[in-house]
Amino acid sequence: MSKHSEQTPGRRQILIAALRYGALGLLGATGGAAVFARKKNNTQNTVWQIDPEICIACGNCATYCVLEESAVKCMHAYAVCGYCRICFGFFGPEPADINEGAENQLCPTGAIKRSFVEDPYYEYTIDESLCMGCGKCVKGCSTFGNGALYLQVRHDRCLNCNECSIAAACPSGAFKRVPADKPYLLKRVDHV
Amino acid sequence: MKMNRRLATANTKILIAGLIAVAIVVAVIAVVRFDTTGKKGSGLGQEFIYDVGELGKIDPNLILYKESAPAINTRFTKCRAIALAPQGTIYVAGDKAIRKFDESGNDLGEIKLADAPMCLTIDTDGKIYIAMKNYVQVYGNPPKPLATWQNLGSDAVLTSIAVSKNDVFVADAGNRIVHRFDKTGKLSNRIGARDKDKNISGFVVPSPYFDLAVARDGLLRVTNPGQHRIEAYTFDGDLEFWWGQFSAGVQGFCGCCNPVNFAILQDETFVTCEKGLIRVKICDPEGAFVGVVAGPEQLVEGGPSRVSEFGPASQAPGFDVAVNTSGRIFVLDTIKNVVRIFTRTSQKNNSDITFP
Repeated sequence: MSKHSEQTPGRRQILIAALRYGALGLLGATGGAAVFARKKNNTQNTVWQIDPEICIACGNCATYCVLEESAVKCMHAYAVCGYCRICFGFFGPEPADINEGAENQLCPTGAIKRSFVEDPYYEYTIDESLCMGCGKCVKGCSTFGNGALYLQVRHDRCLNCNECSIAAACPSGAFKRVPADKPYLLKRVDHV
Repeated sequence: MKMNRRLATANTKILIAGLIAVAIVVAVIAVVRFDTTGKKGSGLGQEFIYDVGELGKIDPNLILYKESAPAINTRFTKCRAIALAPQGTIYVAGDKAIRKFDESGNDLGEIKLADAPMCLTIDTDGKIYIAMKNYVQVYGNPPKPLATWQNLGSDAVLTSIAVSKNDVFVADAGNRIVHRFDKTGKLSNRIGARDKDKNISGFVVPSPYFDLAVARDGLLRVTNPGQHRIEAYTFDGDLEFWWGQFSAGVQGFCGCCNPVNFAILQDETFVTCEKGLIRVKICDPEGAFVGVVAGPEQLVEGGPSRVSEFGPASQAPGFDVAVNTSGRIFVLDTIKNVVRIFTRTSQKNNSDITFP
């Protein structure tokens, strides 16, 4: 009988064990909630952006975004631009002529506008409503020129998905989370 | 009746099993085809692909040189310029030093510098003129600092330096001007500012590549990369003539701003270097295309397509070039930080070829 009472826990022991495990469970739940809240807070305070120094303009931004029209657009660092007469971000590698004719342009959607400044300088501006973020101009500019054209996530369009599908498909790892109060990674002027 | 009910039940089961099987197959195909890592590419059409691969191919008949010696490893992480001393010693500027090599690649010493050198030249008396970003330093032979010239201001980006009997010429890409100094470092005049009366349109230098050299005819040759030409000036700054034209083809200068660097051979022909489509070519003194030293396929691993795969941080850089008195061409590969040596194998002159 006494042996039986040693093996079977009493009511008090059951209560203590329940309290102990209950306290442990509560501690775990609180910790988990804190981590979740912190992660959620982090996500809310950061946004997706492309590091232009790592981006290789592969074209994935144009097709992997969950939006029908990608949130990634081409941006122009005017301070880096050479305002070239023959811009290889604007003209195809073998332009038939040096003018704004569609057949001479590199951009498949005609999203870059070329306007005369003074001889021999021209200004290039991006029409974001036409740009689909394919990065073709970025490649042309960075291969031959100063790399003034580069891709950025436009935050007036981006849904800031928790798991960005472009980030997952980015072959160079150029997608990163940046603080929401500094949402763009703009190109620097120091070109030497 | 009972028989029909059994048959109907069996048919329904087969139908459901079939549907489940189809659903599983569709799911498996979807999972297999779903590309979360982007390895299958963007799926964009050919019109969205940037490809200069075909442009980079050069007719082998136009290549007049071949690599004649093993490349010299400069051991720099970022080399910038090459120059040859009159007796043939190779000087390479990079990081914060100048390194000397003989043609076999043997290390002949190093000059440590406080700043990063942008370019250099060696005078007949062995003095070394080194341009940093915005000032010039002179070193003696044996190398010891002799003088530091005036700072040319924060806008200055010095990219090339050359000496004549009495003068030192410095190309300033930041101010788009050539500074002429005497050998004590006193500024004599500036060359190349826009001047309609002198018919000088001014230098167009979109990127920090702006080269010059003193030719044996006593005129200064300066690149005007944004205009795709090489211009000849008197030392007093009068524009005498120019040559060069834009062309994606091998006979002209491709891209937004080329040539980036050049050197002049003993017979007064020019060796030009282009960036983007990295090409080293020979032009006669009037600028007519003579032939190719090496094209993108010889100079860049993977050819021109590889260049356009670089991220902007490692943009296709401009190679530098130097020549010796026997006509060998020394190409400074600023991607691999090595010096590649080319020797002429064909005396063919392609200047009479008509390009489409």
